[in-house]
Amino acid sequence: MSITKSAHNRVLPGFGLTLGYTIFYLSVIVLIPLSALFFKTATLSWGDFVATVISPRVIASFRLTFGAAIAAAVANAVFGTLVAWVLVRYRFPGKKLADALVDLPFALPTAVAGITLATVYSSNGWLGKYLEPLGIKVAFTPLGITVAMVFIGLPFVVRTVQPVLEELEPELEEAAACLGANRWQTIRRVLLPSITPAVITGFALAFARGVGEYGSIIFIAGNMPMKSEITPLLIITKLEQYDYAGATAIASVMLVISFVMLLVINILQKWSRRYAA
Amino acid sequence: MSIEVSGVSKQFGAFTALQDISLTVPSGELVALLGPSGCGKTTLLRIIAGLESPDRGEILFNGENAHDDVRERQVGFVFQHYALFRHMTVFDNVAFGLTVRPRKERPSKGAIRERVHELLKLIQLEGIADRYPAQLSGGQRQRVALARALAVEPKVLLLDEPFGALDAKVRIELRRWLRRLHDEIHVTSVFVTHDQEEALEVADRIVVMNKGKVEQQGTPDEVYSRPASPFVYSFLGTVNMFHARPQAGQTASTEHHSVGYARPHEIDVSRQDPGNGAIAVTVSRVLPLGAIVRLELARVDTGGLMEAEIPREKHEELWFTTGEQVYVSPKNLVVFVEDYQI
Amino acid sequence: MQHNSSARSGNNTNTEPAPVRWLLVATAMLFLTLFLFVPLAAVFSEAFSKGWETYLAALREPDTWSAIKLTVLVAAISVPLNLVFGLVASWAIAKFAFPGKSLLLTLIDLPFSVSPVISGLIYVLLFGLQGWLGPWLQDHDLKIVFAAPGIILATIFVTFPFVARELIPLMESQGREEEEAALTLGASGLQTFFLVTLPNVKWGVLYGVILCNARAMGEFGAVSVVSGHIRGMTNTVPLQVEILYNEYNYAAAFAVASLLALLALVTLVVKSWVEFRMKRQEIQS
Repeated sequence: MSITKSAHNRVLPGFGLTLGYTIFYLSVIVLIPLSALFFKTATLSWGDFVATVISPRVIASFRLTFGAAIAAAVANAVFGTLVAWVLVRYRFPGKKLADALVDLPFALPTAVAGITLATVYSSNGWLGKYLEPLGIKVAFTPLGITVAMVFIGLPFVVRTVQPVLEELEPELEEAAACLGANRWQTIRRVLLPSITPAVITGFALAFARGVGEYGSIIFIAGNMPMKSEITPLLIITKLEQYDYAGATAIASVMLVISFVMLLVINILQKWSRRYAA
Repeated sequence: MSIEVSGVSKQFGAFTALQDISLTVPSGELVALLGPSGCGKTTLLRIIAGLESPDRGEILFNGENAHDDVRERQVGFVFQHYALFRHMTVFDNVAFGLTVRPRKERPSKGAIRERVHELLKLIQLEGIADRYPAQLSGGQRQRVALARALAVEPKVLLLDEPFGALDAKVRIELRRWLRRLHDEIHVTSVFVTHDQEEALEVADRIVVMNKGKVEQQGTPDEVYSRPASPFVYSFLGTVNMFHARPQAGQTASTEHHSVGYARPHEIDVSRQDPGNGAIAVTVSRVLPLGAIVRLELARVDTGGLMEAEIPREKHEELWFTTGEQVYVSPKNLVVFVEDYQI
Repeated sequence: MQHNSSARSGNNTNTEPAPVRWLLVATAMLFLTLFLFVPLAAVFSEAFSKGWETYLAALREPDTWSAIKLTVLVAAISVPLNLVFGLVASWAIAKFAFPGKSLLLTLIDLPFSVSPVISGLIYVLLFGLQGWLGPWLQDHDLKIVFAAPGIILATIFVTFPFVARELIPLMESQGREEEEAALTLGASGLQTFFLVTLPNVKWGVLYGVILCNARAMGEFGAVSVVSGHIRGMTNTVPLQVEILYNEYNYAAAFAVASLLALLALVTLVVKSWVEFRMKRQEIQS
């Protein structure tokens, strides 16, 4: 029998102390510094704020950043699901190694990823030299930005879909087969609907990560204003020109977008668990 | 050490778990809190332990207010799923309560070792002191949990569904063993169960609970043969209900729907109508179950189902067969006026 | 998982024809090769492209050494602080019910959804010359931004959730029974925590610490904003990689980068091992 204990009567000690410290540390490290951004933004006049945020260079950076992040998240949703499927369902040599390395983008510092991707996909790099004759230029183009975002977003879809696939009971598919469904019908009508929420959650996580990413992109991007300059880089550029107001305005827009993304992801995760026992 | 529960109420949000509960556990007795799941028995046990605090009312040990702090209350609590420390060996689990005592009160290492081995001997698990909980069977875990609780020499021993997680055979062995153990150590004990057979077999006294209230308390014989309410009657065993129908010449007041209850062994079965208002039934199945034979019967008038149990000798004498019509009359009918639905 | 796949191989209902299987595996592996395996191999290949001597010389560079020292210092301060926070927060959140819990959980996750650049910017706004506390700090001759304290603060911010978010679900799943048992046996709060709770989550703690450390040592964006890029003074290892790379000193840049890649691989190995231990603990109980 599970008993939910109300907050006012508890047997385990230390609630007040630990909750107090949690809120204190959270405030000092996260909440107060983050609120500084909004207070700074509030000191800007509305006109200045709008002028900064809708200036062509800023708009171009938003378009590039969000466009590339969506493209990368779509690529990850498709190939990440495939990777998760293959890792859960099939046996093949090197599977364990591949499984472990999927987390590499979480562990590899972004600067290392950045210089490596730039080198590998440059016109005389390991992969770039085969792509260039085909007319595909990756490094120093928006495509390069997408490639970097695919790299850093790769684990998200795999790691959200994989556990869901692992927990699917084989009985579901057997039941579908017994009821006369062919393999493709079973996949489309039984398996895909069960993993769709996880795929969408992974997509949202990869997208959110891509939008904010800096380190792995700047080396491969080319960083040409209006063409290949991502928003985080623009914030740094403004900061280096001592344009604190401009940097703050752009940052606050990005922060609001990340909060909305966080909210969406939370709702998605709740939704994806709606059938959970 | 006697336990007195006085006027205890407990609310969880909108749900009333316990409503003005009062009961007494005499020193040295083994008492069962019996009731269906959700009746509040586990909450009551946790309140006695000090793991939960009541909204109203109090718990007295030997007439004195029990300590608020669970650590000072000195109860031994055996959790339903044992809550053995999974990273500790059996020995360390049993020794835990002694090793966490303040240095001044802590027994020496040798004394702890001696005490633990004494307890392991008591629970007949001397050989497995070095195993981890994951390597034990359910029954072994149960006994280790008991030894751990006893190691600190608790004033009272509280057990939450002590046999609930075990399979049928182990359950029966273990409850007999618990009874013998209690006769040996005589610590005042309360255990929670939803199994009436378990309560009847093991306990000195039974407290029957339903929907946050005490329905009846008494010895197993009292609650079984003189149930105080239809709930107690039906919870403690199979029961046949006789709905009194308002009939000409019947004395019962017709505004109240009164129901008579009789247990299967309290039903007389005969081929001839004895003429005392016996009910005509058809035998639908005959089940020889060892020393008794159970007859499943269907009323001729309403089609309602009944059960009767007769000694095997009587069956061998009369030899009822499926499909024949017989007459039944309750030997001992208990009538409750309020309608109660099982 | 191994067990699952072997169970599956025996029946034909739940799988695809062999050619389809191989096609899917090949596509997935091609994807991983392009985006993971080739770049990983390239780090080490580039690092040793000019031979061992150049490699070692790049690592012996004094600026690189001071960057390594700073990075270790930053991790040595930020990881323990976040570890303590994670333990404290998970106790409060996992073992008690209180209103506002899910809001608190969301706030703890917040740093993960903030762009690293913004994570650095907020400290510049607070402690920079034009910031709130800037003038006061200057009067008292204290330097936070463009100095080690700023780097440490930004690192604490970006690694803030790692231990907590690992421990909270783990402690929640273990319930309160063992702690309650310890209390009924007379253990104090601290004894209960150190003798019962902590041993049960030790692998989760290690897991969180490993990931926290990897991020602390590898953080680039946030640190880049607050560091000021003073060579030999406020450069961490990732910033040193950037400088060498921008100076077209590729071999040296990749030599230093290979250290970080090695750290990442060690992190993954320890992580896999911890996952294996956690799974085993789960099966046992």
